[in-house]
Amino acid sequence: MTYIFKIIPQILDGLGITFGTFGVTLVLSLPLGMLIALCRVSKNKVLSSISGIYTWVLRGTPLLLQMFFVFFGLPAIGIQLFGRMRLPYVYLAFVLNYAAYFAEIFRSGIQSVEKGQIEAARLLGFKSSQINQKIVMPQVVKRTLPSIGNEIITLIKDTSLVYALGLTEIFKIARSISTRDVTIAPYLVVGCIYLLITAIITKILGLAEKKVYYEE
Amino acid sequence: MLLEVTGLYKAFKDTQVLNDINFNVSEGEVVSLLGQSGAGKTTIIRCITGLERPDKGSIAIDDKNICKEENGVMKYADKKELFDIRKSLGMVFQSYHLFPHMTVIDNVTLALTEVRKMSREDAVTKGMAMLKMLGIDDKARQRPFELSGGQKQRVAIARSCVTDPKLICFDEPTAALDPQTTEEMTKIIRNLAADGMGVLIISHDIPFVNNVSDRILTVANGKIVDEITPK
Repeated sequence: MTYIFKIIPQILDGLGITFGTFGVTLVLSLPLGMLIALCRVSKNKVLSSISGIYTWVLRGTPLLLQMFFVFFGLPAIGIQLFGRMRLPYVYLAFVLNYAAYFAEIFRSGIQSVEKGQIEAARLLGFKSSQINQKIVMPQVVKRTLPSIGNEIITLIKDTSLVYALGLTEIFKIARSISTRDVTIAPYLVVGCIYLLITAIITKILGLAEKKVYYEE
Repeated sequence: MLLEVTGLYKAFKDTQVLNDINFNVSEGEVVSLLGQSGAGKTTIIRCITGLERPDKGSIAIDDKNICKEENGVMKYADKKELFDIRKSLGMVFQSYHLFPHMTVIDNVTLALTEVRKMSREDAVTKGMAMLKMLGIDDKARQRPFELSGGQKQRVAIARSCVTDPKLICFDEPTAALDPQTTEEMTKIIRNLAADGMGVLIISHDIPFVNNVSDRILTVANGKIVDEITPK
């Protein structure tokens, strides 16, 4: 027990990277995902095709591969986005990847809104932007929140992948301690930390779902 | 003339749905298009509301053209003109298409506050008066899922009428109603016409159409084949 209490602070040192990756990805990929979804359902064939290819590629290849691509691949073809800093590359790969998943969820939500409601709104004189804002989006949020919640929980666990670019988050620290002390206790600790974080996220999502719920 | 439809043609791929449709509706008049499913009634109403573009012919609402044919070339109202024409137009859909995430009063007042830029207070006063006229003001704070079919339809009528249209279109208004509610609907529609509104109904409910209409036009195979004046 004393040992566990001794390693907890060491593991928690990695929480900054874990939460940073989680927070930046969430804040940027949700609006980007919505934008891609709107392009996907747009009548403009070029926009729709580009966003279709985007989601196909980003969902069809592993996140780890995409991380390597932005970190090693882009500089190799002469695109130096963030110099030698590693974290921005991680953020970029995560945001692009998660935006693709969110886009598909939003697309299904947008397409689930009855066409008749949109026609009714158009006849009442609403502009497309007003229809999106007042009629479509509130229903999309309610209908997609459970699936979005699922992705958010996957995201917190996926942050453990950043170790592959040499960044020190909670899972990497646990692995180092485990190797150093020859014990699996750090893995148990890190497992409990993930469980605790997902429990908090689940609770928040539950409250959010309650807030936007209405019967149909 | 409030609504004037002249020489309307419309085809979907190889199917000719409308085949030279001509009719009109005056202020305070209830005109019904009666016909079997697939006769082309819904397409007529969708062309009038600008939701479909006819291939040929002219439609004018309150002397403004949704579309017209000039020297064999079709001209359609642009977005701005359509917005302007739709101010004179109301539509009650067969499945009502209420906004499920809003209360009844918000469904009714949204167009007033967002499109007509009326203050929320004035919009609610106007919306409540409309709901009261239709006998559902006690449902104002409820959501659509809590209402019966007849109540939902009244909300849809209130939502369309609250913007003071000159012409209101009903798509199969009695399809989901019991006989008593159908009778009430007849009174509501007659009252709208008595207030000077032109009413266009599409229906296959012969007794209802007989009771409510000033003129009945029978539609078959995309043509108006008969016109009668009931009573």
